[in-house]
Amino acid sequence: MTLLRLDNVHASYGQSTVLQGVSLEIEAGEVVALIGRNGVGKTTTIRSILGLTPPSSGTVQFRDGDITGMETHDIAQRGIGWVPEDRRMFSNLTVDENIRIATPNPANVPDAFETAYSTFPELTEHRKKPAGDLSGGQQQMVAIARGLVGDNDLLLVDEPSEGLAPLIVDAVAEAIETVSQEATVLLVEQNFPLAMELADRYYLLAHGTVVDSGSTEGVSRDDEMIRRHLSA
Amino acid sequence: MIADVTALSTAIGLTQLPLLTDVTIGIARVVLDGLSKAALFVLIASGLSLIFGLMGILNFAHGSLTMIGAYLGGVVMVVTVTSDTAGPTRLLLFFLAIAAVFGALTAFGAAMERTIIRPIYDRAPLFQILLTFGVVLVLDELVRIIVEFRGLQPQSDWQAAIGTAPDSLSTWYDVAGVSIRGLYLFEIAIGAAVVAAIYLFLTRTRYGLYIRAGSEDPEMTQALGIDIRRAFTVVFGIGAGLAGVAGVMLMWDPRYGASVPLGVETLLIGFIVVIIGGLGSFKGTVVASLLAGGTDATMTWVFQNHVPFPGLPEMVLFVVLVGVLIVRPQGLFGLAEVGGH
Repeated sequence: MTLLRLDNVHASYGQSTVLQGVSLEIEAGEVVALIGRNGVGKTTTIRSILGLTPPSSGTVQFRDGDITGMETHDIAQRGIGWVPEDRRMFSNLTVDENIRIATPNPANVPDAFETAYSTFPELTEHRKKPAGDLSGGQQQMVAIARGLVGDNDLLLVDEPSEGLAPLIVDAVAEAIETVSQEATVLLVEQNFPLAMELADRYYLLAHGTVVDSGSTEGVSRDDEMIRRHLSA
Repeated sequence: MIADVTALSTAIGLTQLPLLTDVTIGIARVVLDGLSKAALFVLIASGLSLIFGLMGILNFAHGSLTMIGAYLGGVVMVVTVTSDTAGPTRLLLFFLAIAAVFGALTAFGAAMERTIIRPIYDRAPLFQILLTFGVVLVLDELVRIIVEFRGLQPQSDWQAAIGTAPDSLSTWYDVAGVSIRGLYLFEIAIGAAVVAAIYLFLTRTRYGLYIRAGSEDPEMTQALGIDIRRAFTVVFGIGAGLAGVAGVMLMWDPRYGASVPLGVETLLIGFIVVIIGGLGSFKGTVVASLLAGGTDATMTWVFQNHVPFPGLPEMVLFVVLVGVLIVRPQGLFGLAEVGGH
């Protein structure tokens, strides 16, 4: 079943057009990587799905409904979660409060704590601390946990390994694998080997449009298209 | 803002205890005076602070809402209180006036947000300043027309409203060897209660959680499925309601009283407090109120005893403001980028 379908999505920030017709499909249960150089529109693709940067033309379909132009909170309530670039912690809120606010039904907060802290035991001792006081890796865990407790069918994960030490990256990768058993994942990741390892399929973006796609099986950096559009 | 000098000194003279030194009495008096001023400041500024914190809107109409709250509260009191009304009944009516004014101005604020503020969120701050300043002109003029029509003088305090306060509030009480007016103790109690109520709302309710999160990152909050626009309406309403509550309190205070210029006077105080505390931080607003109240009280004391310059308290308040802005431009507890969209 197709969970998410983007059809010829255009989007721009003011005068500058970033997406020039992105089309992609994600099946339920898949992990799909969105790869490409900086500035080709990976984050904008995610923002346009969420309605944060609404598409100027084209459509976004989630499950069987057209969500193009809907308000962000309506889109999120339909079951799309966001693990944003730079983690976007509510730094003045405690870790517990970050989890609490991400839980749609207040009655489920105890379950949400259980889910979050069993997935990331390391966070347990920091529950009452402001999230801003945590290390980068721990903040990434909170960001993923927020996506995890939100009853989401689709998680949009943006640059989860950015700025983290290699050891922490392993932990985050493991977390994404865990998450992907529960939800479908669209992953933006600069770390190419990591993206290929985590994802089932990939879409390669260049100049605001999809230039290549396929299974991640056996794909290497040396492939002609990948090399042309990915390496500096 | 400057306390009634003669009344205060007479009172001190009457109640001075032989066991306490002048210094102790001076300090205790400044502390109590400072707390009562801080209580008024925090009432005036908290709504402004909540609104700016979440929406990044500097609501210039906040003072006018306080002024309207003062008149509305005065109407409730003047209509219901007769010379035979007992003290406790007057207090009860006062709390009813607070509830009524809070309700009315919350509804007004919510309507104001939905109709005229909402369309300009994406514009530059200058548009918001011009718009809310326009609201000031309209509201102040409307109130002036109504007040004059009712045969009152809009520039001077509404004495009939001040007169509805029970005698117990104009009595001077002895606290820690210092004489303090009942009204000031009452203001301290109301200020503390409102701070506690806002604090509990922000920290213990789900809506409060949305507001704290939305103040930090509205986009992320929306992406968690929270209708931030509705939160904007609610908070703008609550902020306007709090402005009204401040007005009801000031209506009884002879240092302020219900008058049209009360709007501008309180707006200035509100801005000073909110900027010192850090735009958008409620903790900052509370601390800054205490700091400003303490500064005002200390300087009033210095003025009364040492420096014969009546503008001293207000001047030093601005010096503190300038000092804070130089050392910490974001205010004592402000985040550097709060309120940004």
